[in-house]
Amino acid sequence: MLKKHPLLVLALVAGYAFLYAPIISLVVYSFNDSRLVTVWGGFSTRWYGELMNNEPLLEAAWMSIKIAGLNASLAVVLGTLAALALVRLRKQRGHQSLGVMVTAPLVMPEIMIGLSLLLLFVAMEDVFGWPQGRGMLTILLAHVTFSMAYVTVIVQSRLAHMDRSLEEAALDLGARPMTVFFTITLPLIAPALGAGWLLAFTLSMDDLVIASFVSGPGSTTLPMVVYSSVRLGVSPQINALATIIIAVVALAVLITGVSLYRKEMRQA
Amino acid sequence: MLKRVATTGLLMLGLLHLAPTTAQETLRIYNWSDYIAEDTLANFQQQTGIRVVYDLYDSNEMLEAKMLAGRSGYDLVFPSARPFAERLMKAKLYQPIDSHSLSGWQQLDADILASLQDMDPGNQFLLPYMWGTTGLAYNRDKVAAILGDDMPGDSWRLVFDPAIASRLAGCGIALMDDALEVLVAAQAYLGMGRADYSQQALQQAAAVVAAVRPQVRYFHNSQTINDLANGDLCVAHGYSGDMLQAQSRAQEAGQGVHIEYVVPREGAVVWTDVAAIPVDAPNPKAAKQFLSYLLQPQVIADISNSVQYANANLAATALLDEQIRHHPGIYPPAATRQRLLTLPLPEDKQARLMSRTWTRIKSGK
Repeated sequence: MLKKHPLLVLALVAGYAFLYAPIISLVVYSFNDSRLVTVWGGFSTRWYGELMNNEPLLEAAWMSIKIAGLNASLAVVLGTLAALALVRLRKQRGHQSLGVMVTAPLVMPEIMIGLSLLLLFVAMEDVFGWPQGRGMLTILLAHVTFSMAYVTVIVQSRLAHMDRSLEEAALDLGARPMTVFFTITLPLIAPALGAGWLLAFTLSMDDLVIASFVSGPGSTTLPMVVYSSVRLGVSPQINALATIIIAVVALAVLITGVSLYRKEMRQA
Repeated sequence: MLKRVATTGLLMLGLLHLAPTTAQETLRIYNWSDYIAEDTLANFQQQTGIRVVYDLYDSNEMLEAKMLAGRSGYDLVFPSARPFAERLMKAKLYQPIDSHSLSGWQQLDADILASLQDMDPGNQFLLPYMWGTTGLAYNRDKVAAILGDDMPGDSWRLVFDPAIASRLAGCGIALMDDALEVLVAAQAYLGMGRADYSQQALQQAAAVVAAVRPQVRYFHNSQTINDLANGDLCVAHGYSGDMLQAQSRAQEAGQGVHIEYVVPREGAVVWTDVAAIPVDAPNPKAAKQFLSYLLQPQVIADISNSVQYANANLAATALLDEQIRHHPGIYPPAATRQRLLTLPLPEDKQARLMSRTWTRIKSGK
């Protein structure tokens, strides 16, 4: 075993500080009585109270969560299909161009994706009347378009390293391809699906530029509220909301972690 | 297993169709966050029964992009008059608001209406909403301590007079990162009565800015708010709204920093935000109802009290909070108001010249 060298410990601490200090300061300042982020004005839960009465902000947060959740689920389904095609149909014609096209959004500037999708949606509405106006649906479509690319990459690498003989054994024993896929393949790549889902969720929650372009009446997302506040000043209510989201996420991670650990213990 | 997948799929499709499908009349507004009073929308809904959907944008550029793409779905938008509303007026993307039939239109400030006439002859398309200036904010105590009796108070000399600027440099001077705003401010300092984009006038202004370039700590449009409030910066050039935000943040922080915002007496750039109805608005009738609602003095006074910007309704002035009505940074004295300058849209050639000049100044060559 590696000995605990003091430098190693220092690197560990520095690494954690680099990752978590900003989050901790955000949480701390959500309990700041002062409006300024740089000045400590005493402990208070005032911003949490104001947040609860700030309907537009909460509505936007809910809108973001809804879009992010649906986006992540759709992106996982489509991304997995794309990854399957990329890994399993190597001899098919068009395989190469599919690979390039699916992952193109990874390297395209957001502003180009946003503007091109906006123009596409407007043109589609002119030509065949769908999607009618823009809103949550168009944001969702736009987000799926680019988060699918990330899911594809993750699932693809998992599939490439999977032991195919397991599937072959199941097929040998008479299982139909569909059954094999759901009972053998899916459970094996499940960690990649989970990671892809979370990544797609985060990407969607985070996105301002693309969503701004393709949003319509009644579909203001959380980042739009935050960035729009610059005009009259950002309020620590944003910190309060972020703290709540972090708490929920941390709790979810903790619960999954504990249940996974117990499962492992039982198996062992 | 297949069945479960199918039901999940159906469920998700169902969720996609959760779009609101109410029969109630709706008005869709696109504006900045918190750029209205807290009860403005609720009261309107109560008075008219029209449901208001209020969406936010984070820059005038985003609003412009959506207007240009068309079919934005919004009934009422609040762009800055220059250059945004001006450009879209040229592109004919707004519809007339029947301004003169709106009750309360006569109470609007004739000077502000006149300042919009060059882009909107007869004021048929744009309703002035809030207005403000681009002036100077400074740290009262620090600047007074450094300058003592030579304090020019409300003058562009604070930043453009090399003798004064060099004394304030250590304490920090910041200018906006906006060629048009800074060059025209320098022209005001030189005593030109209006924004002049001719090559000669721009060169004169550039010489003024170049002379104080070494004393300027940075050029930025919004970073100044926090730096002023924390006392890290002594003088900043910026929009009245931002500078007053710095003032109130400094007050709230209670660290003994006092920020003053002044509209320099030589004149300063004035900006106006307007309300306009896009040409393809789904419900222009409701938008017009909202405009007449905004023309009620009490409604617009409440908004001004909440956002701390001046409005264009003369009948509303009496209803404003004392500290807003008498704040020289929000409602400048009449003599200063006579010297406010508007920024017409530069032609392409002028804009190119300006940005070249600006790059030269900033890089210090």
